Amino acid sequence: MTIDEREICRYLRLQGRAPGAALEERITVMREQALKAIRPARVWRRFDDPFVVGGADSKTLKRHLAECHAAYLVCTTIGAEFDTLQRRTAATSPADAFVLQAIGAAAIEEWTDETEREIRRELKEGETLVSRYSPGYGDWPLEAQRRLFELLDAPRKVGVSLTDSLLMVPSKSVSAIIGVKTEVPQ
Amino acid sequence: MTNGILGKGRLVFLDGGMGTQLQERGLRPGETPELWNLSRPDDIRAVHSAYLAAGADIVYANTFGANAAKYHADAPLADVVSAGVALAREAVHAAGGKRFVALDVGPTGRLLKPAGDFEFDAAYDAFAEEVRLGAEAGADLVVIETMGDAYELKAAVLAAKENSSLPVLATVALGEDGKLLTGADVECVAAILEGLHVDALGLNCGFGPDKMLPFVKRLAAATSLPIAVKPNAGLPKVEGGKTIFTVGPDEFAADVIELVKAGASIVGGCCGTTPAHIRKVVESLGEWGMGERGNSSFAHSRTVVCSGSCVVEISTDDAIIIGERINPTGKKKLKAALSEGDVAYVLREAVSQAEAGAHVLDVNVGVPGLDEPALLDSTIQAVQSVTALPLQIDTSDPKALERALRHYNGKALVNSVNGKEESMSSVLPLVAKYGGAVVALTLDENGIPPTAEGRLAIAKRILARGAEYGLKPSDFVIDVLCLAVSADANSANVILEALRRVRAELGCCTCLGVSNISFGLPARPLLNASLYTMALGAGLSAGIINPLASDMMTAYRAYRALTGKDRTCCEWIDLFKDWTPDVRRPTSGVRQPSSGGQQPESGATGSRLSDAIRHGLKADAAVAAREELASGVAPLDVIDTGIVPALEVVGRGFESGSVFLPQLLMAAEAAGAAFDVVRTALPSRDGASVRGPIIVATVKGDIHDIGKNICRALLENYGFKVIDLGRDVPPEKIVETARREKARLIGLSALMTTTVCFMEETVRLVHENLPDCKVTVGGAVLTADYAAKIGADHYSKDAMGLVRYAETMFPAKMV
Repeated sequence: MTIDEREICRYLRLQGRAPGAALEERITVMREQALKAIRPARVWRRFDDPFVVGGADSKTLKRHLAECHAAYLVCTTIGAEFDTLQRRTAATSPADAFVLQAIGAAAIEEWTDETEREIRRELKEGETLVSRYSPGYGDWPLEAQRRLFELLDAPRKVGVSLTDSLLMVPSKSVSAIIGVKTEVPQ
Repeated sequence: MTNGILGKGRLVFLDGGMGTQLQERGLRPGETPELWNLSRPDDIRAVHSAYLAAGADIVYANTFGANAAKYHADAPLADVVSAGVALAREAVHAAGGKRFVALDVGPTGRLLKPAGDFEFDAAYDAFAEEVRLGAEAGADLVVIETMGDAYELKAAVLAAKENSSLPVLATVALGEDGKLLTGADVECVAAILEGLHVDALGLNCGFGPDKMLPFVKRLAAATSLPIAVKPNAGLPKVEGGKTIFTVGPDEFAADVIELVKAGASIVGGCCGTTPAHIRKVVESLGEWGMGERGNSSFAHSRTVVCSGSCVVEISTDDAIIIGERINPTGKKKLKAALSEGDVAYVLREAVSQAEAGAHVLDVNVGVPGLDEPALLDSTIQAVQSVTALPLQIDTSDPKALERALRHYNGKALVNSVNGKEESMSSVLPLVAKYGGAVVALTLDENGIPPTAEGRLAIAKRILARGAEYGLKPSDFVIDVLCLAVSADANSANVILEALRRVRAELGCCTCLGVSNISFGLPARPLLNASLYTMALGAGLSAGIINPLASDMMTAYRAYRALTGKDRTCCEWIDLFKDWTPDVRRPTSGVRQPSSGGQQPESGATGSRLSDAIRHGLKADAAVAAREELASGVAPLDVIDTGIVPALEVVGRGFESGSVFLPQLLMAAEAAGAAFDVVRTALPSRDGASVRGPIIVATVKGDIHDIGKNICRALLENYGFKVIDLGRDVPPEKIVETARREKARLIGLSALMTTTVCFMEETVRLVHENLPDCKVTVGGAVLTADYAAKIGADHYSKDAMGLVRYAETMFPAKMV
């Protein structure tokens, strides 16, 4: 994992401006610490029914998966030790903690994109993926997380669990459905 | 019983994978496998029978996920567990011979606090229920397996031991890097499980037997208990949505033989293994006796403590540092923080000691009038959320000790037991039950003996008493006690003699609270460091010291360099490469003043202090503040004309969009560093800010605290007193604290739509109980409209918004 500095700056909401020397140094230091704490893990599974998690009554999900004949469920994480580092950093420096959470956000996004590329390699001839869609998007209720996690056996496979309020822990994790549709030649 | 089942002296064969066998029989993804105990009993029995026919001595009942935290199907849990055990029993009966049924206990699927939101006690309850059901159904032993978190593992083992008298085998699932999901390595797992007195321990799942080999070797060096292995049939590969295991029976058995040679004596298979794999293992190993277990007596004689992810060995050959700062004795600020519930202060103490090089942190919260058992428990959990260092639980209250030991993640160091009967009979059984090493103070009913001889005699008596509870000499760390040399001229001589003799005659590790020596004398740090050096030379294993005291750390580093512990002096060189006679401990990033002695400008812009703050240079800001003071600027002027205007410039920049949040925070931290310097120059103010207090918290159910932390930092640096209650805070606690501290303003943060309901509840409860108290809310999902809807008095769109609101409520001048 590399964790692109431009992506980090995007999550720091610098609105395209240069971070400046002092901030840049912090980014470098925290990125180094983050890379030591990150333990990426992922699981995915293909299902022939794109509505395997339910959600047929969600208008937005139905629209999103309208042309799909199958779907991948995916869960990725950068691990629990990153959260520990985040808590430790927050105890002494909110500025470093803020930088670190931006690094974590960039890292999980990079890892999930990487995973999606891996999934693409598995596709059958003529298939393509639609974009990732997660419980809680649009009118697809967050409760769908429970079923998604059961189907993936996510706690055991990648160590990602749900809290009572349906948050994912470790906090830098992504769960999503990725529809599979037939590629229409341009 | 144990010898009959997990026995020493012979190989024991376990079964292979259950889940993968059921999938072949039609189990679908997401389906609850335990339901098959009721709906497809013939299939379950058939799988057991096939493993028994292959030669397994022990079969695992199909109860892996049958705990209330994980199991949510309609059929009663009790039926599922008893049917599971009964089916295995039927298969065992049919097979004949001396075979056994294990209740299989898997993880809850929930992440325990602090990594997640699940309470240790809730995990314990779920496991306890499963164990009681399994024992009632007639299981012969309890197997805890596939654990990925040391803390959950501890909950499961305690539940098994306290709710049945069955033998317990516990195995964990390592990742490819040899660690559990929450970071424990095999040495850590071994320390915790030995401390809890399981009957056997080992590894299952994760990967194939070849990859398991190095970890089994390490385990064999770290434990004297029988070792179990249940590897997968290789690493799982996903093809077309299906999980495939590629290692066949022959290859599997060949690799398992290597595991037995390395010390495993209980062998089976996990995911992807089949009756054919187990048959081949049994056939191949029939010719093999037990493997060689070198070094297990070595493991037995080591003093090891750990957290849930980090092991520290205390030894007679090298020294470690126990950080003493989390102890309110003589520390006004810490006492106040503990009384107010200001967790953040304690956490800063923990992290700064860890960063300074401590190996173990002492935690003592004994403040008269506070509920010590509850406070010690919550403080230890909080400290464990920010540091992986093992802790020394420091209390004289046995109730507080038991609760803390129970909830402690890992194997703790206990401070302390002494030679008094009352102490030994209350502390030693707790250490024996929960595992741990215990500091033995060499005093008794007659006080502290004046001679080394007398202190040694007490140490021996404590060791003998410990043996009655099954504790070994290596479970003790002897504190030979440090008395002030101003009161007893012979104090240091006695200490040094006692240290040498404990090591030579008892073979035990030692510890010492070094700084007592200088009590009542001037230049205490100098005396402390000298005694510390002498004590290290006399064989001290663990100094209980202030790791932020540079003289002490220098003494420690020098000792390690001079005795060859710091091989090739790398640590020393690294620390002191920039050393000059004037600057003894260079701090990274501190620029030396370009010119000394000139009158600094105290205006808002252009001064070095102002520049440092505006550019977010923490170390620079502290140096600049020190310079201004040294040049004669009054402390209050440094604040009013230096720090405050500079921070204000940055704050306005943020509001107008020219400065961004990370820069604002860095400026606030730099201002904070400057404040800290100035405060030390303000006599009798005790560093307290005068505006407030303001209570901040992330609401119940929510564990995102970055926004809340940002608010705290900014408020503090704008001169407000802040009480930070942390995250996932119940409404009642917020109200109670606000009432006690007479707070007029509460800031609440919530990040998720699912937790805003608790924010609403908190606001309601505050308004009902404390009509004069205002609540401001903020967080990603909130808007001004929404804040009004849930009854909040104010909406803070960002941290500066909160500062501005607080300024309207507390218009007093800063500091």
